[in-house]
Amino acid sequence: MMILLGAVLVAAAVVLYVVQPVFSGERASLASLDEEFTEAEARRHLSLVALRDVEYDFATGKVDERDYRRLRDELGREALDALREVQRSRDQAEDAPPAKDAVADDLEREIAAYRAALRSGTLCDRCGSANVAEALFCATCGRQLESERGEEAAAARGR
Amino acid sequence: MILLGEFALWVALPVSIWGIVLAFVGGHRKRGDLVLSAERSVYAVFFLLCLTSLGIILAFLGEHYEYRYVWGYSSRELETYFKVTGLWAGQRGSLVFWVLLLTLFSSIAVFQNRRRNREFMPSVVGVLLTITAFFLGVLLFADVNPFERLPFTPANGQGLNPQLQNYWMTIHPPTLYLGFTSFSVPFAFGIAALVTGKTDSRWLVVTRRWTLLSWFFLTNGIIFGMRWAYEELGWGGYWFWDPVENASLLPWLTATAFLHSVMIQEHRGMLKMWNLSLVSLTFLLTIFATFLTRSGLIESVHSFAQNTRIAYIFLAFLGAATFACLLLILWRKDDLRAERTIESFLSRESAFLMNNLILLGSAFAVLWGTLFPLISEGFAGTKVAVGPAFFNRVNIPIGLVLLALTGIGPVIAWRRATRRNLERNFLPPLLMAAAVVAGLMIAGMRGFYALATFAICGFVLTILATEFWKGTRARARIEGEGLGKAFLHLIARNRRRWGGYIVHVGIVLMFAGFAGASFHTEIDQSVEPGDQIRAASPYGHEYVLTYQGLSSSRTPNMWQWVALMDVSRDGRRLGTITAEQRIYSTADQPIREVGIRSTPLEDVYVILAGVEDFEGALRNESSAQGAVFQVLVRPLVGWIWYGGLVITLGSLIALWPGAGGPARRKVRATPASARLAGV
Amino acid sequence: MKNSRFYIGLVGVAMVVTFLIWTGFDKAMVYYLTPVELMAKVAEDDTFHDIGVKVSGRVVEGSYEGAGAFEHYFSVMDLAREDASFRVEYRDILPDTFSDETEVVVEGRFRRDGVFEATTVLTKCGSRYEAMPDEMAG
Repeated sequence: MMILLGAVLVAAAVVLYVVQPVFSGERASLASLDEEFTEAEARRHLSLVALRDVEYDFATGKVDERDYRRLRDELGREALDALREVQRSRDQAEDAPPAKDAVADDLEREIAAYRAALRSGTLCDRCGSANVAEALFCATCGRQLESERGEEAAAARGR
Repeated sequence: MILLGEFALWVALPVSIWGIVLAFVGGHRKRGDLVLSAERSVYAVFFLLCLTSLGIILAFLGEHYEYRYVWGYSSRELETYFKVTGLWAGQRGSLVFWVLLLTLFSSIAVFQNRRRNREFMPSVVGVLLTITAFFLGVLLFADVNPFERLPFTPANGQGLNPQLQNYWMTIHPPTLYLGFTSFSVPFAFGIAALVTGKTDSRWLVVTRRWTLLSWFFLTNGIIFGMRWAYEELGWGGYWFWDPVENASLLPWLTATAFLHSVMIQEHRGMLKMWNLSLVSLTFLLTIFATFLTRSGLIESVHSFAQNTRIAYIFLAFLGAATFACLLLILWRKDDLRAERTIESFLSRESAFLMNNLILLGSAFAVLWGTLFPLISEGFAGTKVAVGPAFFNRVNIPIGLVLLALTGIGPVIAWRRATRRNLERNFLPPLLMAAAVVAGLMIAGMRGFYALATFAICGFVLTILATEFWKGTRARARIEGEGLGKAFLHLIARNRRRWGGYIVHVGIVLMFAGFAGASFHTEIDQSVEPGDQIRAASPYGHEYVLTYQGLSSSRTPNMWQWVALMDVSRDGRRLGTITAEQRIYSTADQPIREVGIRSTPLEDVYVILAGVEDFEGALRNESSAQGAVFQVLVRPLVGWIWYGGLVITLGSLIALWPGAGGPARRKVRATPASARLAGV
Repeated sequence: MKNSRFYIGLVGVAMVVTFLIWTGFDKAMVYYLTPVELMAKVAEDDTFHDIGVKVSGRVVEGSYEGAGAFEHYFSVMDLAREDASFRVEYRDILPDTFSDETEVVVEGRFRRDGVFEATTVLTKCGSRYEAMPDEMAG
C-alpha cells in the first residue's frame, strides 16, 4: 500500500514537473543571449589565439622572421575583419551606426593593443582583455596584472 | 523501495519519449514552452534512473535473491563493497548504469547551457533523449530487465565471479562507461550543429571540454582494464587483442583523432565535414563497443552471455543512427566547405591530418580484424579469425609512427614550417635517438622494434623537453620571472597546449613499457620447500626465488593456498613474494592470485600454477608441500602504469576549469573598454 | 604543387596500412571451426592438418588426464553433436576455470595421428554466470 502510494506520488510529481511549462506557458529561450559568443566573436577570438601561437612559434624559433611577419599580418587582418563584423552586428543591435572611419580606427587600435599586450604579457588572465603596458589592473575586470611588477624587477636586474 | 525502482524504470521510458517529441517539435516550431518541458524531462529521467539504481543496490544489500540479476551476481558471503558494485557487475545492471551515467551527463549539459547556446538545445535534448529511450527500451523489452523475478526464492545467490572481485575490476567498467556516455554530449552538439545549420566552429568550442573529459575517462578505463588483466588473469600480459578490448580501443582511436582534428578546424576553418564525421563515428563506436560486450556476437573470453535478440536490436539502432548521421552530413554538404586549404605539406595541420589518417587506419585494421570472423562467415561460409599476431603486426608499425608524431606535431608550426627551422629543431632530437640506439646496441640489445621504440621515445622526449625549456625561458625573459615560476605560469597560461604535451610524455612512457615486452623471460618449475628457482633478468641480474612452503586456510567464502617465496637478486635478499590459489565456495575451480614484486626496471611475476597434492595441502601436511610455479620477469611493465598517471595529470591540467583554456573568455571587449585599454 | 605532395602523403599512408593489413592476414589467419566442421574439412582436404585452427567445443566429462601442471590430455566434443569429438594434448598451464563440461576454445594444429596439439586453451566463463535458473530448480 505504501509502495503504491509512493509510486503514485513519484509519477505524479514527475509528470507535473515535466508538463507544467506546456500549460503555464513558461518558456525556455531559443536564441543566443547577448553575452554569448557570436560567430564573428568566435572568429575574432580564434584569430587572436592563432596570433598568440604565432608569437610563441616565433619566440621559440619555429617560424622564421619572414614567415612570422606574413602570418602576423594575415592573422591581424582576419582578426580585424572579425572585429568589424562584431562591431557591425552590435551597432545594428543598438541601431546607431557611427561613422565608418571612426569604427575602423577603434578596431585598428584594439588589434594593436592586443598585439602589444600579447608581447608585453598584459593580456588579462581572467577576461582576455588587452591592457596597456603600464597597466597594473585589468581595465575591464579589475584583475591585478602581474607582468608590470615583473618587468620592473627584470629592469632592476639590469636586463 | 526496490519496487519503486522498478516502477521508475517503466515511467522513465514514456517520459523520455515525451521529451524527444517535444524537443524536436518545439525546436522546429520555435516553441520555448515545449523545449522547456523537454529539458525538464531530461532532469526527470535522471531522477527516475537514480531511483532505479538505488532499487538495484538495495536489492543487492537486502539479499533479495528472488531477482534473477541479484541471484546471478551476489551471495550472502560477498563483501558489502562488491554488493554495491553489483550494480554494474553483470549485463542487466550495467545497462542501467550506462543509462544512469548518460542521463547524468545529459542533465549536466542541459544545466550548463540553460542560458547559453540556446538554439542548439532542442536538438541536443532530442538526440540525448533518443539514445536514453533506446537503452530504456532495450532494458524493458529485450529480456534484460534487472528486476526480472525467478519463479522461486533461492536461499543464496550464485556469487560473483571471483575474477571480478578485484579492485581494478570494480573501477574499470564504470570508468569506461563514463567515457562512452560522456561522448554522447559532443555528438549531440554535432548533430545540433547540422540540424540548425550552424556548422561553424562554435559547437566545437562548446564541446571541447566534454570531448577531453570523455577521452580522459576512456584512456583511464582502458588502462584500468590492462591493470586488471595483468594482476588478475594470471598470465603476465595486459593486452590480448580480445574483441571486447578492441571494442574499447576503437572509440579511443577515433576520439584521439577527433581531439586533434578539432584544433585544425579551430585554427584554420578546415575539416568541418571531417570533424562531424569523426564525432559521429566515435559515438557509433561507443555504442558498438557497448553492444559487442553484450551480444556474444563475436567469440570473446569476457563477453557477457549470448543474447541474439539484443544483438539485432543494437544492430538496428546502429544502422539507423549511421544512416541518420550520413543523411544529415550530406544534407549540409554545401555549408561544410573548408574556408581554407592546406598551405604546405610541412605544417602542423598537415601533421595532424597524418595523425588522423593513421589513427583511423589503425581503427580500421582493428575493426576489420575483430569483425573478420563474421565477415568471412557471411561471405565464405567459414569462420576465419585472426590472432594477436595480426593486430601486433599491423599496429606496432602504426603505433611507432604515431609515437614519432607526438614529437613532430608540437615542433612544426601552423600553416607552413620552413625547412631550415625544421632542420634546426629536429637535429638534436635525431642525435638523441641515434645516441639511444648506439647505447642500447653497445649494452647488447637487439631486436628491431624494441630499438626503434626506444629511439623514438628518446627523440620525442628530447623534443618535448626542449619545448618546455624554450617556453619557460621565453616566459622568464618576457615576464622577468624565475624559472620555476615561469614554468608553472607557462603551463597555467595555456593549459590545453602544455597539458597536451604532458599527455604526450605519458604516451612515450607507456610505449617504453610496451617495448619491454620484447624481453620477457619465463621459467616453469616444480619445487619442494627449500628448492630454488633461478630466473635471469634481461639486465643481466639473476633472481633466485627460494620456495618456503605452502599454507592453506579458509574463510567463509573460499579456501586458499598461499605459497611463500624468498626473493633475492644477485645474492642480496629483497623480500618475499606470495602467490595464491583460491577456491571460492561459489565456484569449483581454483583461481590464481599472482604475486608481483614491482620495481621501476622490471616486475617479478610469480604464479602458483598447481599444487601436487591437494588433499594433503588442505590439511597442511608437511609431506604435501610440492608445488608448480611459473616465474616471469617482465621488464618495464611499471612504466605503463606510470605513463598512465602522467596522462591523467596532463589531461587534468588541460581539463582544469577557469581561465587559461584559451577559448573560454565570455566577457567581450566593448568599444569603450578597448578604447580605455588600447589608446 | 604543395597540395599534391600532401595528397601523395595521404595515399602513401593509406597504401601502407592496407599493405600491413593484407600481409598481416596471411601470417595470422586461423580457421574458426566447430569439431564437426573440423572433421569435415580434414576429410576433404589433407592440408588442414598443417594449418592453424581454432576449435570451440565442450570438454567431455571424465576425459581429463594430466601429468603434473604442464601436461594435459582431454577430449573436446561438438556442442551440438556428442559423437564428433577429438583428443587434445596441451603442454602448458591450464586456465583457472578449466574443468569438465566447460566450453573451451582450443587453438593449435590437428595432427595426422588424430590428436589436437593445442598451443592455447581458453575457457568461456561468461555463460556460467548467466546459467539458467531452471537447471538449478530442476
